[in-house]
Amino acid sequence: MALPVWRQLRTELHPQGLEIVTVALDLEVDAARSWIERSGAQHPQLVDTAHKLDELLGVVNVPSALWVDENGVIVRPPHTAAVERYDFSKLKAPEGLPDDLDAHIRDMLEQVKRIPRFDADHYVEALRDWVEHGAASAYALSPDEVVRRSAPRPPAVAEAAAEFELGQYLHHAGHVDDARAHFRAAHRLQPENWTYKRNAWELVSPGIQGPTDFYDGDWLSDIKAAGPEHYYTRPDF
Amino acid sequence: MILQELEVTPEELERWTGWELKPEGLCKADRCVPFPDGSATDGLVDVTVVAERLGMPLVHDDLHELWALGPEAGDRVLASAELPPIVLADVDGRPFDLASLRGEKVLIAAWASW
Repeated sequence: MALPVWRQLRTELHPQGLEIVTVALDLEVDAARSWIERSGAQHPQLVDTAHKLDELLGVVNVPSALWVDENGVIVRPPHTAAVERYDFSKLKAPEGLPDDLDAHIRDMLEQVKRIPRFDADHYVEALRDWVEHGAASAYALSPDEVVRRSAPRPPAVAEAAAEFELGQYLHHAGHVDDARAHFRAAHRLQPENWTYKRNAWELVSPGIQGPTDFYDGDWLSDIKAAGPEHYYTRPDF
Repeated sequence: MILQELEVTPEELERWTGWELKPEGLCKADRCVPFPDGSATDGLVDVTVVAERLGMPLVHDDLHELWALGPEAGDRVLASAELPPIVLADVDGRPFDLASLRGEKVLIAAWASW
């Protein structure tokens, strides 16, 4: 969870004119609440219970970030925000699990270890450079380049957004069962969108996002199908 | 945009999608798309025609008689580099308008509990 890193960066860079806004892509506010309340952050901490950032900005996974200048102009469209330093090489399944769950979790951890990690130090240096130099920073893109580098939106992706919107609307209106057909449609239409998939899976299979009768996919099957090396888009800095 | 009916006022359409109904058609920023006569009657706009003209998906929930009008399909999610209007709530439900941060550089970081 990157929240402590965002808090540190905000403490460092707010005096130089940077604000950070963290947005939890969580259908359930209460799922994000304890993380937010424990974070100690001074910056705005919001919850996007409809995954509007997916529809409006093209976010498909977390952690993602975008940079916006003083005039409200995006200078970096959504990108994989590599701010944490991981060492997953020693990840182990907890002791004492039932055999089938143990095997599933071991398999998940093997996939997690194969997800590429990016250079957090370089990302933070790029951010500092932009905060100091603004439009003169090599990391601030022109408006045309921002549009060009934003996510593609073919008809299936637009339709996935509409299906997810119906699903979240029904979910929040208390029609949890009826929402799932729309979440499932969104998954089929935009399989590369992990926020649509993982948030829906988490609600029916908390913790491991495993196979259920409700959805066609699950975390382990889908990451194997996509290839763990494709889970994150390499940030282009 | 969630709809319970497929006819909306031009004001609702503009508030929800940013597209304004003008004599020359549906317009947003410097772009106008012709809108056929007869698709806006009695002060209401036919959303099915809007969806077809602008390349927006219109999906339906049969059980609850609801529609969702999705974003315009096209080349890229961002039609311009300007941050679109986005208002989100904090954990206590208080709305926060991202446009209120004009004058500062802003990094928007998406994360999730899951």
